[in-house]
Amino acid sequence: MRGAALVLAALVALAGCTEPPRGAAPATIVFKHAKILGPLDPIPGLLREFERRNPGVTVRSEPLTWTSDEQHQFYVINLDGATPAFDVLLLDLIWVPEFAQAGWLLDLSPWVTRGELAPHFPAAAAASVWNGRVWGLPWNMNVGVLYYRADLLAKYHLAPPRTWEELVEQAQRIRAGERDPKLDGVLWQGKQYEGLVVNVLEHFWASGTALLDEHDRVLPEPERAAAALGFMRGLLESGVSPAWVTAGDEELTRRPFGDGRAVFLRSWPYAMDLFEAAGSPVRGRVGIAPLPGHVAGAAGVGATGGFHLAVNRRTRHAEAAVALVRFLAGAEGQRAITAAGVALYPTRVDLYRDPAAVAAHPHMPRFHALALVARPRPVTPYYLMLSTTVQPEFSAALVGVKTPAQAVSYARRRLEYMLSGLR
Amino acid sequence: MTARERADRLAGLAFVSPALLALAALTVYPGLWVLWLSLQQRVPIFGIARFVGLEHYAFLAGDARFWNAGRVTLVFTAVSVGLELALGLAVALALQRQRAGRRLALSLLLLAWALPSVVTAKLFEWLYHPSAGLVNVILGGHAFNWLGDPRLALPGLIAADVWRTMPFVALLCYARLLTIAPEVYEAARVDGAGRGATLAYVTLPLLRPILLIALLFRTLDALRAFDLMFVLTGGGPASTTETLTVYAYRSLFQTLQLGFGAAVGCVIFALVMLVAWAYLRALRGEAATA
Amino acid sequence: MRRRVHAWDVMILVMLAAWAVPYFWQVRTSFTPDTELLATGSVLPSAPTLLHYRAVAEKSVMPRALGNSVGVASLTTLLALALGLPAAYALARLPIPAKNLLLLVVIASTAFPQITTVSPLYLLLRALGLRDTWTALVLANTSFALPLLIWLLAGFIREIPIQLEEAAFLDGAGRLTVLRLVVLPLVAPGVASAALLTFLAAWNEFLFAYTFTATEASRTVPVALALFPGVFEIPWGDIAAASILASLPPVVIVIALQRWLVRGLVAGALKD
Repeated sequence: MRGAALVLAALVALAGCTEPPRGAAPATIVFKHAKILGPLDPIPGLLREFERRNPGVTVRSEPLTWTSDEQHQFYVINLDGATPAFDVLLLDLIWVPEFAQAGWLLDLSPWVTRGELAPHFPAAAAASVWNGRVWGLPWNMNVGVLYYRADLLAKYHLAPPRTWEELVEQAQRIRAGERDPKLDGVLWQGKQYEGLVVNVLEHFWASGTALLDEHDRVLPEPERAAAALGFMRGLLESGVSPAWVTAGDEELTRRPFGDGRAVFLRSWPYAMDLFEAAGSPVRGRVGIAPLPGHVAGAAGVGATGGFHLAVNRRTRHAEAAVALVRFLAGAEGQRAITAAGVALYPTRVDLYRDPAAVAAHPHMPRFHALALVARPRPVTPYYLMLSTTVQPEFSAALVGVKTPAQAVSYARRRLEYMLSGLR
Repeated sequence: MTARERADRLAGLAFVSPALLALAALTVYPGLWVLWLSLQQRVPIFGIARFVGLEHYAFLAGDARFWNAGRVTLVFTAVSVGLELALGLAVALALQRQRAGRRLALSLLLLAWALPSVVTAKLFEWLYHPSAGLVNVILGGHAFNWLGDPRLALPGLIAADVWRTMPFVALLCYARLLTIAPEVYEAARVDGAGRGATLAYVTLPLLRPILLIALLFRTLDALRAFDLMFVLTGGGPASTTETLTVYAYRSLFQTLQLGFGAAVGCVIFALVMLVAWAYLRALRGEAATA
Repeated sequence: MRRRVHAWDVMILVMLAAWAVPYFWQVRTSFTPDTELLATGSVLPSAPTLLHYRAVAEKSVMPRALGNSVGVASLTTLLALALGLPAAYALARLPIPAKNLLLLVVIASTAFPQITTVSPLYLLLRALGLRDTWTALVLANTSFALPLLIWLLAGFIREIPIQLEEAAFLDGAGRLTVLRLVVLPLVAPGVASAALLTFLAAWNEFLFAYTFTATEASRTVPVALALFPGVFEIPWGDIAAASILASLPPVVIVIALQRWLVRGLVAGALKD
C-alpha cells in the first residue's frame, strides 16, 4: 500500500512535467553493470543499437562484480565524496533510497513521465521512487516463490500448501511415504546475509507483522516477529528443513532441489529456467505456487528483488545517460534481454504475455500473478543498516544461540538507537 | 657547548623530525581524531556530523553484541596464546637437539608464519570444507560443518590462528636456547641433574624472560587480530566468532557509521593499552622482588 | 665432510613438514582438476593440471593485484627506510631532547590497533582525494611499519662499536661522511632484515587495503584473494592457485632470505 501511495505521489509530482528536448552533443557514456556471462549476453548488442540511434554517443561497458556486498562497497567508496568515472549505474533496488538520500543519483523526474512507470510491476515501480521523485528505472524483477515437486504432491493427492503449517504436514507425509533419507522437506536461504532477511521478512508478512511499519517503527509487534522466527527455527528442529539450511544461499539450496532431493524450495524465478533445462532430473516435475501464509496470520506474499538503472548525479552527459537508461528499461530493451533467454526477469508486465519472451521462458506467465502482488522490502535510505543489524540476530535465533524473543528484543533496541542517530 | 655538540644536536633534530612528523600525521593525529570521532554521530554518506558526547559508550555498556564480542575476543586470545606458547616451547626444545637440516626445519616452521593471513584463511576454509575438506577426511569421513556450526567455528578459528603464529613463539624460544652456553648444561650434568631436572631448573628459568616477551607480543596481536576471522568466518555463524575488531569493522564500514564504530575502536585501543600496562607493571614488580 | 643423519633430526623434520601440510595441501589443490576436487581419494591428483593458474592469470584481477602489491610493498619499504633510518641513527647516537619520551611514543605506536585508526585515516584519505590509490596504501602502511623499523634499526646501530665512529671523527670526517662510510656498511645486514620485515608486513596487510581500495587500480593481493569471485560455486582450485601466487614472496623470503628474516624477528624481541 505504501508503495502504491508513493507511486501516486510521484505521478502527481510529475503531472506538470513535459519531456525536455534531447541533447545531440557527442559524448561517451560509461555504463557500470554486472556482466551476464556466456554467449547469450544481449547487452552489447543493445548498446550498439542505442549508439546507432543516437549519433555522436558512444557507450562503454565497465564490469561490476556480482555479489551484492561488493557492489555496495564499490559504490560507497566511489560515490561518497568523489567524482566517479561512470555515468549510468546498475543498482540493487534496496539501495535506491539510500543513494538518492546521499545525493549520488540524478533526479530523473524531469524526464520520466507518467506513462513510463505505469507498465512496470507496481512493486518495482515503487522502488524507483523516493521522496516523491524518480531516481531510477526498474530493469529486472525478482519475486519470492514456492517451488514444489508436482509429481510427489500428485502421488499423495495433495494440493500446493496454502499455509506453512500445511506445508510441514505435507512434507512429513511425503517423506514418511517415500522412506528416502536423502529427501528433504523444504529448503530456503538461512545463511547470514541479505537472503536471510528476505526469507524472514516473508515469514513476518505471512504472520501479519513487519520489520518496519508505516510509522517507521521497528519491529512493532515483537511477539509476532519472535513467533515467526520461532516457526523457522522449528522447521530445523523438526527436521522438515535440514540443519545446513542455516548456511544455505540461493545456489546451495537450488541444487539439491534440482537434483530431486527436496519436496519444497523457496527461491526466485531464475531457478525455474534451470529446473526446466535439458538434462535436469526434475524437468517437467516442478510446480510454482505463491508462498504460503500462516494459519493465524495473513496470506503469503513474496518479496521483490531486482536491479534498477540510475544516472550518476555528477554525470556530464545527463541527456545521453538518461536516454540510455530509458532505452534499456524500455519495452524494446527489456524484450531483447528476456527473449535472449538469460535468467533475468523483466519488470514490464506485458512482457509476461509477449510471445517472444514466453518462447524463451515458457513458464513466465505463471510468475505474472505472483509478481503483481509481490511486496517490497522496507523502502528507506537506512535499509542496509536495518538489514545488516538484524542479520546476525536472525541467524542467532535460527541456529539456537539465542531465543527468538532475545534476538527480536536485541535487534529492536539496536535499531532504535541507530535510527535515532540518523533522523 | 662545543661546536661538535651543537652540530650533533641540530643533526639529531634534522634526522628525527621527518619520521616524527610522519608518525604524528599518520598515528598520533588519527589516534586523537578517533577519540573525537567516537563522541560524534558521523555518517558521511548522509552528511550527518554532530556531537553526541558519550552516547555511543553508554549504548555499548548495555549492548549484548558488544559484550559477546568482548567475550569472544578474550576466549580467542587466552586459548590461542596459551596453545601457541605451549606448542612453541615444545617445538623449540625439540629443535634445540636438531643437528642436521636446521635450515630446512626453520623453512618448514616459518612458512605458516610468513603467509598473508588472508591466504591462511583461504587454506583453512578449504581444509574445513564439510564434505571434501582434508580435516574431515582425516577424521574418518565425518561431515563436521566446522565453519557453519556455532559450537565448532571458534575452535576452528583458533586452530587456524595457532597454526599461523606458533612458529613465531618457537623461533624466539629457539633463538634464546641457542645462546645458552654448553657449559651450563655441562655443569648441570656434573651436579647429577637428569633430563627433567635440567629442563625444570636450567632451561625453563633461562627461557622465562623470552616467554614473557612472546606472551606480551602474542597477546597484543591476538587482541588486535582481524584478517583471519573476517575472511574465514566473517564473525559468523550467529556472531560466535565475532571479535571486537570484526564488530568495529562491521559498524564502521558496512554502513559507514564512523562515530559508533570509532567508539568500539577506542575500546579496543584501551584494552590493548591496559594489557600492555598491566604486563609492564607485573614485570617491574617481578624485577623489584627478584 | 658428511654428517651422520640422526633419527631425531628426521623425526623433527617430518613433524615440521606435517605442520606445513595445510600449505602443501593448497599446492596440491591448485594442480587438481575440478572433477577430482570434491572427491578426495588420493594424495596426489591423478592428472595434474595448470588450468587453475591459467584461469587466474587470464580471467581474474590477480595479475593486476600482484603488480599493485609489489609496488605498494616496495614503496612502503623505501619510504619507511628513508624516514626511519636517519631517525633510528639519531635515537641511537645523537643528543635529542626528550629522547626517552620519543622512544616511548615509538614503542606505543607499534601497539596501536589498526582498527582504531582506520576510520580517521579513511576520512583523511577521503578529504585528500586519495582513496583507491597506491599513495593511500603506502601512507597507511607506513603508519604501522615505521615505528617497528625505527625500533629495530636503532637496536642494530647501538650494536656497532661507537669507537669506530669516534675514530673517524678524529680523522676529521663529518657526521654525514661517518654515516655513509662507517655506519651504513656496518648496519647493512640489519637494514636488510628490517626492510624484509617491512616488505612482508606491507605485502600481507589486509585491513587498510580492503578499506581504502575499490577497484583493480589499487587492490592488493590479499584483497583480491579475499574477494575472489565465484559465479555460482566457490572455485576452490582457482582460489588455491591464487593463494599460491599470493604467497610467493613470503615463501621466497622464508627459504632464500631466511637468515635476514630470523635476525630481524629475533632482534625485535631479544633486546628490550
